[in-house]
Amino acid sequence: MTVPVNSASKPTRRRRVLWGLLATGTMATMAPAPPSPGRSAPKEARFAETYRGRRITGASHGAGPSGDPCRAMWHVTVDGHPLPLMRRADGSWMTMVDHYQSYPTPLLAARAAVDELGPTARPAAPDGNDGRMVHGGGRSERSRTPKDHVHGVHA
Amino acid sequence: MVYTRKDVSTLTRAERRRFVGALLELKRSGEYDDYVRMHIEYYTPDGESGLRAAHMAPSFLPWHRKFLLDFERALRRVDASVTVPYWDWTRNRTRTAVPWTEDLLGGDGRRSDRQVTSGPFAFRNGRWTITAGVTDTEYLMRDLGRSHDPLTLPTSRDVESAVADPLYDTAPWNSTSPRGFRNKLEGWGPGHPPASWRNHNRVHRWVGGHMVSGASVNDPVFWLHHAFVDLQWSRWRRRHPHARYLPAEPPAPGDAQHGRIVARREKLPPWDVTPQQMEDHGAIYRYA
Repeated sequence: MTVPVNSASKPTRRRRVLWGLLATGTMATMAPAPPSPGRSAPKEARFAETYRGRRITGASHGAGPSGDPCRAMWHVTVDGHPLPLMRRADGSWMTMVDHYQSYPTPLLAARAAVDELGPTARPAAPDGNDGRMVHGGGRSERSRTPKDHVHGVHA
Repeated sequence: MVYTRKDVSTLTRAERRRFVGALLELKRSGEYDDYVRMHIEYYTPDGESGLRAAHMAPSFLPWHRKFLLDFERALRRVDASVTVPYWDWTRNRTRTAVPWTEDLLGGDGRRSDRQVTSGPFAFRNGRWTITAGVTDTEYLMRDLGRSHDPLTLPTSRDVESAVADPLYDTAPWNSTSPRGFRNKLEGWGPGHPPASWRNHNRVHRWVGGHMVSGASVNDPVFWLHHAFVDLQWSRWRRRHPHARYLPAEPPAPGDAQHGRIVARREKLPPWDVTPQQMEDHGAIYRYA
């Protein structure tokens, strides 16, 4: 294995913009993905419920006139704190809180996140910036890069 | 000098102490949390746009191999005798087996809040506060075996089903790839949980707590788990000596995966290396 000098990661502008939008809570889903077989439109256009003592809300924005789920963007919160959603290629949804499984709808993904959060924990970003996902959008400015990515000297 | 990664169950008392000591030192210096952040940043699911290098992609294995190498390099700057041990979860399968001992990673989280209260990474010791998380919880959490709905670890047969596949990966090169060693090992299976949780993914869920989140690196078992996953890639290469990392070439323009996955000779972000350069680790480390 040859292991040459590294270069540090630079988040793309697109990712910065996306995470920036997430940080302000204006958009809960990431960019649309190409259609894939078996993808079905989200059942909910809006939901609000108390689940295991936590208030979860969700609202979709931007669904196309044909109801194209690829255009749907969701803003989901738990007790008022943004819970960013992401999509899998099969059209299912996942969150950073529960990240090794996906769910058929945004509501089910939000409930699963509450299952993981328990009675009191809040979705938050690294370093305690509540609701501000600084990684990606802020990593280059806010957080250090592991030394090896800077110096890149390897065995 | 080629160094050796050992089965964690074979470490001597001194080796355990030095491994834990190096982990705590990287945490103290702040460097550990940079690895947590990097893993969060690169966990882009395959329904999102853009290039995904670390998960749900052919480069799942080389990305984590390089990630472990960088981390191991950092550990070895602290203590040159340390390497990342591997946790063979096909053999050490209970909540009290290694690595869940007082002198290694500590035990299960407590029932009330899943807080790890034993071992070097217990919050009360003051040396393992979670700062780079995706929740505001400051203590490390585990729920070994998923107490509310028990789950078993993958078996050697499950691993064998992945290693036996001579095809490295196949279109659509993501979490829905129906065949291929990579997705069988990464573990996005068809159907519904828990049957759909295979190998690598299933272990994340079996540990529970931080290990099911994008901030899974906060639990040091992440490294032991991924060393064992990495070992399976080495076994697969020995088993299929003529098989290679796929795809060899980038998907053509117009292909849904064009620009979204890393082909054999393309750069693997954020590094200046290619999957091809990560295929053979024999000059750097070996597994015992």
